Amino acid sequence: MLQFVLSGVAIGSIYGMIGMALAISFYVTRIINFAQGQLMMVTVMVTAELASSGYPIWLAALAGLACSCIVGILSYVIAVRPILLSNRFSFGWLVSTLGFAVIVENAAAYIWGPTSQAFPPILNGISLPIGGAVLTAQQLLAIVTAAVLAAGFEIVRRYTLFGKLGMATAADPEMASAIGANTTVVAIVAFAVSAVYAGVAGLLIGPSTFANPYLGDTFGTYGFIAMMIGGGTERPIAAMFGGLLLGVCAEGANALINSQASDWFPFIVLVLILIVSPKGLFSTSNPLFRPRRAAVTRG
Amino acid sequence: MAPAFDTHSGAAAPRLRIGRWRTAGLAAVLIAYLAATAYVAHTDLGLQSLVLVAAVFGILAISLDLVAGMLGLYSLGQGGFFGLGAYATTILANDYGWNVFGLLVLVLAATGLIGMAVGAMSLRVSGLYFAITTFIFTLVLTVLATDMVTVTGGLQGLLGPAFPDFPADLEWLGTPLVWCIMLALLACLGLVWNIRHSPLYPILLSIRDAEPFAEAAGARTAAIKVGVFGVSAAMAGGAGWLFSFLGVVSPSQFDWSVSLNVLVMVLIGGINTSIGPVVGAMFVSMFPNVVNINPWLQEIVYGALSILAITLLPDGVVGIARRALARRAGGIAPVADAASAEALPAAPTVAASPTSPRDSEVIVECRGIEFGYGLGPKVLRNIDLAVRRGHIHGLIGPNGSGKSTLANVISGRLTPHAGEVLLKGIRVDGMPASSRSRLGLRRTFQAAQLVKELTPTQNVMVGLFDRVPRIVGRAPLWPMLASGRRDLSAMQRRASEALSLVGAGDWTARQVADVPHGIEQLTQLASVCVAGPDIIVLDEPATGLSAKEVRHLAAILASLKTQGVTMIIIEHQTRFLFPLCDRVTVLNAGEVILTGSADEVRADPVVRQVYLGE
Repeated sequence: MLQFVLSGVAIGSIYGMIGMALAISFYVTRIINFAQGQLMMVTVMVTAELASSGYPIWLAALAGLACSCIVGILSYVIAVRPILLSNRFSFGWLVSTLGFAVIVENAAAYIWGPTSQAFPPILNGISLPIGGAVLTAQQLLAIVTAAVLAAGFEIVRRYTLFGKLGMATAADPEMASAIGANTTVVAIVAFAVSAVYAGVAGLLIGPSTFANPYLGDTFGTYGFIAMMIGGGTERPIAAMFGGLLLGVCAEGANALINSQASDWFPFIVLVLILIVSPKGLFSTSNPLFRPRRAAVTRG
Repeated sequence: MAPAFDTHSGAAAPRLRIGRWRTAGLAAVLIAYLAATAYVAHTDLGLQSLVLVAAVFGILAISLDLVAGMLGLYSLGQGGFFGLGAYATTILANDYGWNVFGLLVLVLAATGLIGMAVGAMSLRVSGLYFAITTFIFTLVLTVLATDMVTVTGGLQGLLGPAFPDFPADLEWLGTPLVWCIMLALLACLGLVWNIRHSPLYPILLSIRDAEPFAEAAGARTAAIKVGVFGVSAAMAGGAGWLFSFLGVVSPSQFDWSVSLNVLVMVLIGGINTSIGPVVGAMFVSMFPNVVNINPWLQEIVYGALSILAITLLPDGVVGIARRALARRAGGIAPVADAASAEALPAAPTVAASPTSPRDSEVIVECRGIEFGYGLGPKVLRNIDLAVRRGHIHGLIGPNGSGKSTLANVISGRLTPHAGEVLLKGIRVDGMPASSRSRLGLRRTFQAAQLVKELTPTQNVMVGLFDRVPRIVGRAPLWPMLASGRRDLSAMQRRASEALSLVGAGDWTARQVADVPHGIEQLTQLASVCVAGPDIIVLDEPATGLSAKEVRHLAAILASLKTQGVTMIIIEHQTRFLFPLCDRVTVLNAGEVILTGSADEVRADPVVRQVYLGE
C-alpha cells in the first residue's frame, strides 16, 4: 500500500511536471504544444551524450536544459507565433506543433539512432527505506523538485509583476499589449520555462528510462493526461495535482490489478473524470467542488 | 406550415442555360472519374494500393471536414471511429464469418450511434475542449486495441478479410475493391457537395459562427450538431470498413496521430471546400512513396512541410486557388448606400395576419420575471410587461438597466429564475429559442450575428429555416431533388426580395465581411422579415446607422406595423423610437419604472431624471 502510493507520487510528480509544462505554455498562448514531450527528450538525449563523453553530470544536465530551452523557443517562433498572428482562434497550431514534434523526434532518431543509450544514474543507486516501503533517492529528489517547481510557479504567478503580466496576456493578449506588455517576450519566456520544466522531468526520470528518442511520445501523452485530469488548462498548478493522481492510479493498478494494468487504467480514470467534470477535477467549472476563490470574490 | 413557393420569375431562362452547362460539366467530370477508376482497377497492385489508401484517407478527411469545416467542431475522434469500423469488420468477418456487406450496414449504424453519443457528451464543452475530448476517445480506443490481445491481436494486429470477387459476368471490370472504394469516395464527395449546395449549408455555418442567430431562426442547433457529428462518425467508420480489406489492421493505424494527420490533410487541402480534403489526403498519404529517402529524414521533411503549409497557406491549396479565381472574376462595388434604394415597402413584406391590429389582445406577456447572471446581483427584478397585438412597444432605459437581458428572456436565450413568459397565451419560459420561433417570434441582435463568409442573401435564407419543410432531411440529396431545386431558387428569390425591401438590395452578392455596419443591421432585419413573423424583438436596430438610414428604418418598421406585426424595440435614440411607439416601458436598474404612451413617458419627472438626464 505505502509502496505503491510512494512510487506513484514519485512517477506522478514527473507526469505532473510535464503536465505543468504543457499548462504553462497553454496558459499564455491558449495552444497545446504537442512538442512538449520532445522538449523533455532533447534534455535527456543531450545530457546522456555529454555525460558519456566524460563531462561532469551537472554540466551535462545544464547543457541539456539549455538545449531544450532553445528548442522550446524555436517551437514558439516557428510553429506557434505565425499561426497566432494570422488567426488567434484557429486550430492550425494542432498541425504545426505536431509537425515540430515530428521534426525534433526524427532528428534525434537520425542523430542518435532509434535505440536506447545509457543515462548517468545520478541518485538512482541509493535506496531509502521509508516505513515498510523503499524509495530510491532519485525518486525522493523527483518528489521534492516537483513540489519546489509547482510552488515556485504559483508564487511567481501570483506575487510578481511578471506573473501578473502572464495572467494579463493569457486573458487578453490585445489588451495586454495595449497597456504596454510585450506579449511576445512573455510568450517566449513561458515557452522557455515550460521547456525547463519538461527538461527537469526528463533529468529526474532519465536514470530509469535511459535515453531514447521516442521517450517524448509516452511522457508527452501522460503529461497531457495529467493536465486534463487536473484541469491545468485553467490553472497550471492543477496539472501537478493531476499528475500525482495519475501516478498513484497507475502504480496502484499495477499493484492491485495486474502488472499490465497501468497501460489502460489511467485512461479509464481520465474518461470518468472528464464525464463528471469536462474541464478537469480541479477546475473552476467542476460541479463537485469549486475552488474557494470564485465564491469569495463576490463578497 | 410553409407558404407555397411559385417558381417562375423573369431570370429563370438564363439561369437554366447556366444550369445546363453545369450539368454537362458535371457529367464530363463523372465520366473521367469512372474512366480513371476503370484504369486503376486494371493496373498493377502497387499503384492500386497507393490510390486506394489515398482514397480511404480522402473519405476520412471528408468526414472531418464535414464537422470541422461546416460546424467548427475540430474532432480528433475520426481515427477512433476509423479503427472501430476496421476492427469490427475484421473480427466479425474473420472469427464469426459474417457477411461483409451486412457488416457495412452494421458498422455505419454502430459508429453513427457511437458518434452521436460521443458528440452529445463532448458538446457540453466547445472549441478546444471538444477537440480534446474526442482526442481522448481515440486515445482510449487505441489503448484498448493494444491491450485486449486475445481479441485484437495486440500490437501485431489482425489480417483483414478478403473482399468478395465480382460475379463471373462482371469480371471484365477488374479489381472489385477498387470500384467499391472509388464509388464510396464518390458518394462521400457527392454527399458533401449536395449539402454545400443546399439551404442547410448557410444554417450549418450560422451554427458555427453565430449560434444565437441560428437558434432564433428556429434551428435546434444542439440536435443538428449531434446529428451531423453522427454522420461524420459513420463516414469514418465506413472508411474503416474499406480499410480492413487493404491488409493488416493494427493499433498504430488508428492512434491519435492518425486523427491529427487527418486534420493535416483537411487543413493543407483547404478546410470547408468540396475537394480540398481529398487533395490533402492524396498529398499526405502518397508523400512517403513519392519522397523515397531515409525514413527519419523523410519524416523531418514531412513535419517541415506541414508547418510550412499551415503557416503559409492557412486556407489550404484549394482555398488559395479559389481566391485566385474569385479575384480574376472580379466584383463590381455597389456605389449606392443603403437608404438610397427608394424601393420602400409598398408590397407586403410579411404574410399579414388576418386579425385586426385594433383588437387589444395581449400577445407577449411577462409576469414577475426575475433573472441574474451567475452569482451576481439580480439584473431583472419582478418585471411585468404586456405587449398588445399590433403595437410597437418601446423598451428604454440607461445602459445596464436590463433591456437586452429582458429581450433574451423573451426570445429564449436566457431562462428566467422566476416568473412566466407567455406568447399568444402559451407559456414559453421553459421552451428553447428555436421553439419560440415556430410560434412566430423572431429577433435581431444588438451586435449583428451573421456568417461573415456568406452573402447577405445566404444569411437571410437562414431566416427561412422553419418555413421550408424538411431542410435537414433533404439536404444530402438536395440538388438532385426537383423539390429541392425549386425550393432553393424560391428561397433565394424571397431572400433577395426581403433584402431589397429593407434597402440592402445592392449588396446581395458581397460577403457580409465586406459590407458596412448599416448593411449588417439591415440584413438582420431582412432575415427576420423574410419569415413573416407575428412578433419581432429588435435589440437596438438603429445603432451604427446614418441619419438617413435611421429614417429609412423607421419607414420600414412603420410599414411592418400596418401589416399587423407586433414589435418590441430596444433603443436609445428616442427621437427615432418615440414617434413609432404605441407604448413605451422604461427600465431602470432591473425594474420597470413606468409603462405608458410616448408622451406620458416624456413628461414623467422620474424618467426625465434617470434617463433623459434632467
